[in-house]
Amino acid sequence: MAYLSTTDFTQDKDFIDKWLYTIRTGEMDLSWMKSATEKISPEEANPRRGLTYRDLNVGTYGYTDIPEKVRNNRSYAPRGAEIPEGVPDAQPWVSRKSELWAFNTESYYEEAVSRQWNATTDIPWDRLDGVELPEVTGKALSQLMTFLTEVEMIATDTPAMWLPRLNPDFIEVRAFIAAQAMDEARHAEVFRKRALTTGWGLMQASPINEMALKHLRDADSFSEMSVALHLVAEGNVLTLFRFSEYLSPTDVDKKIFRLVMQDEARHVGYGMQHFKYVLEHFPEKREVLHAHLDEAENISFAGAAATELTEAFIILAGGGLKKENIEQGIKVTTQFNLKQMQEHFERLDKCGMPERRERSKLYKMYEMGRAAAENAGIKLN
Amino acid sequence: MAFYADKDYTVDETVLMAAQKVMEGNLGLHWYNAKTERIAGRPSDSKRGLTYQDLNVGSYGYTDIPEDVRTSQSMVSRGSEKVGKLPDMGYVVNRKSDVWSDNVAELYEEVKARRWVPATDIPWTELHTKPLPHDLEMACAQLYTFLQECQIVSMDFPSKWVALINQDFLELKSWMCAQMLDASRLFEVFRKRALFGGAGLGRASATAEQGLKEWLWADQFPQGSVSINLTLAGFLLTLYRQVGAFAPTNVDRKIMRYAMQDAARQTAYGLGQLRYHLNHRPLEANAIEGYLDHTEHALLGLIGSPELLEPMIIICGGGLEKAQVDKGRIATAKFVRLAVKEYMERIAAAGLTGHAKRSKIPAMIDRISAAA
Amino acid sequence: MAISFPSTEYFEALKAQMAANEEKFRRLGFIDTTFGVSVGVNGKARNFVLEFEVFDLKNVSEVPSIDLKKVDFQIEGDTRVWREMIENIRRNGEADSSHDINTLAHFGEQLKIVYDDPDGHDKLYRFMESIQEFFDLSSKLEVSFN
Repeated sequence: MAYLSTTDFTQDKDFIDKWLYTIRTGEMDLSWMKSATEKISPEEANPRRGLTYRDLNVGTYGYTDIPEKVRNNRSYAPRGAEIPEGVPDAQPWVSRKSELWAFNTESYYEEAVSRQWNATTDIPWDRLDGVELPEVTGKALSQLMTFLTEVEMIATDTPAMWLPRLNPDFIEVRAFIAAQAMDEARHAEVFRKRALTTGWGLMQASPINEMALKHLRDADSFSEMSVALHLVAEGNVLTLFRFSEYLSPTDVDKKIFRLVMQDEARHVGYGMQHFKYVLEHFPEKREVLHAHLDEAENISFAGAAATELTEAFIILAGGGLKKENIEQGIKVTTQFNLKQMQEHFERLDKCGMPERRERSKLYKMYEMGRAAAENAGIKLN
Repeated sequence: MAFYADKDYTVDETVLMAAQKVMEGNLGLHWYNAKTERIAGRPSDSKRGLTYQDLNVGSYGYTDIPEDVRTSQSMVSRGSEKVGKLPDMGYVVNRKSDVWSDNVAELYEEVKARRWVPATDIPWTELHTKPLPHDLEMACAQLYTFLQECQIVSMDFPSKWVALINQDFLELKSWMCAQMLDASRLFEVFRKRALFGGAGLGRASATAEQGLKEWLWADQFPQGSVSINLTLAGFLLTLYRQVGAFAPTNVDRKIMRYAMQDAARQTAYGLGQLRYHLNHRPLEANAIEGYLDHTEHALLGLIGSPELLEPMIIICGGGLEKAQVDKGRIATAKFVRLAVKEYMERIAAAGLTGHAKRSKIPAMIDRISAAA
Repeated sequence: MAISFPSTEYFEALKAQMAANEEKFRRLGFIDTTFGVSVGVNGKARNFVLEFEVFDLKNVSEVPSIDLKKVDFQIEGDTRVWREMIENIRRNGEADSSHDINTLAHFGEQLKIVYDDPDGHDKLYRFMESIQEFFDLSSKLEVSFN
């Protein structure tokens, strides 16, 4: 796999002589001063927001005018620079804008950088002193956290592995992906830390959910990865975070879920905006994405068999293991499951794939589940 | 590459039955007595918060990760109970000494605590209130173009490897994610500086990019790490200090102070990783020496590229007048010597004490100094 | 009343200022380093060890000599350079571009950074912004020079 530079610089006499000559005499070539690049005069649109990538969306440096197929840069040169002969090929896999672009990518990135938080210092861990949850609640919380640690590390690996495959011209998407990897690392950290403060530690792995995680990671294209990760999985997880915040047994947990929710909503936002973009600009991809959604939804559905998660959720939602607790827990968990599916299809509608409902087996399950829930007196907003 | 579920679960009776059973209130609770260690971690210092070091305990800790991780290939979080059929994620880096550094947890905690924001932490408008002379601004634009190339590669290295590294090295993988964001933020600040100054970007460097690609594409992690995390980051650290010391504006000085913090963290990992690798695998010393002999020429490709050297002379001298250029070339020669001296010190501190003697680089630097 | 430089009292006064500006130093992040400051006075040196932890200067002590194996790095320089730096900070509210730690120490021609382990040396740069802001707090002190 190793690449060798076209020159061994210790043996390149012309290169070294030129270097020595410049240092000895101060005579410089200065041909870079005549680079055929654009001179621009950007301004901060809002000084309180500072200097953003959007402020630099000007001419050849901007992102608006990136062509659908990037043909003239495959090197490590930043977009808009003059590219000389002899630069290497960075071997990008993705050089087509619609494969990865999202409306507002640059603002998702700026928001991510500005809203970084710290799981070590921003969570009031000290408030757990003296908090003794009932065993059943403590274990259920630990089990939920264990599941989330599995989820979040795949959520770092998956976008990160695509990053070096993206053409360097897609600066803002690469930046967003880097920020997402950090967000997910922080999520893995905060859930692990919370599990290890409950008094129970981590609990049991979830084989079914791990299968889903492998599916997320191993996609054939960036767009497919994005629809499975950002839209389906993170969409589901966002709903899970919202319910978990609502069910949190302590204000420490509430704080955790509020913070992770912000990040997750950003990732889902990117996923939706990319999905819209790809459907609008690369219509041939629609069927490929449908096919990938078939698989993603199949795996989402398989999650119903991950009873180690469902049971923990029922206990947290009901507050214990007594009959009335479990009845209440099932009611809330049913609402949660249906809400996840409802929001999934709402997102697809919004992005321009309303026909998904016709094709999707999951949607049929949702309709059946919703009817059954209504018969049981469980309402869904 | 695609992975497909082993069956169509929407028509699988076992899923439906499992779900139905639970939703009827019949909880199996197979997870309830998980065979894992009980722990109630708390911050050892409430001001610092709850760190990964505080949780370095028993089966959850990183100290006791074995050298060969043979029993984990899935996404299970270290210390959880493994049950059932867990997927093989195909990790190819499973030896602790290939990736670990004793300062990994510390660096991860530090990087989060010392985060900064290019959009708002740099006093950008000062660039417009006190614009630089044309030649100096052009030199800055060229320098910042070069630095963007370096950061693209710095971002690609951890992202290229992270998914191939065993999940048991959780703190290390988290640190690598932080490295991606650090590199992205540096790329961002360099690009913003170049474009906001009004001169646009300059020219990419073929010689630098050739060297960078050789380092990035190393076929083993320890080798790539020594190139990217120690050699490149260490070189950039000296460069940021140099530009900070000769900064033409307060904006550049501020940028360089943040940049040097990030580069120094990366260098600390690079040095720590090589040290750990050689301490635990002393027989690898020859292989690393051989790798360095073969690839450190790329450092010359970076330092000697006209796209870096010439703007550095102009920035360090303050302009293109003869006296300025003389001042600049002498300062630049000193910078080159300092960068290589510190590189050799780090390599020696990591365990390759005789490397400076066998390397071709110092002799080359002596010629540069003599020329100045 | 003016605080004399170099002295333990000077660093203690900076420590108090650092605590009073906690929010600023929190924003800059953890600072975990122990380093030496050596001030040359008439051919002799007065040596101080500064132990930073989390967001604070935890301890400062004057020692006869600094053991480089026990500190990450040492900043050493003649009292004339230190004085110029502190006076510059007091005039400007912060060090100007010719008087910040990095510039003064870069080629080792005014201040010098000495160290046993390059990993320790690099901590100067890992925590540079905090260390610079720490010395910039001299702007809030009355300082006299012996």
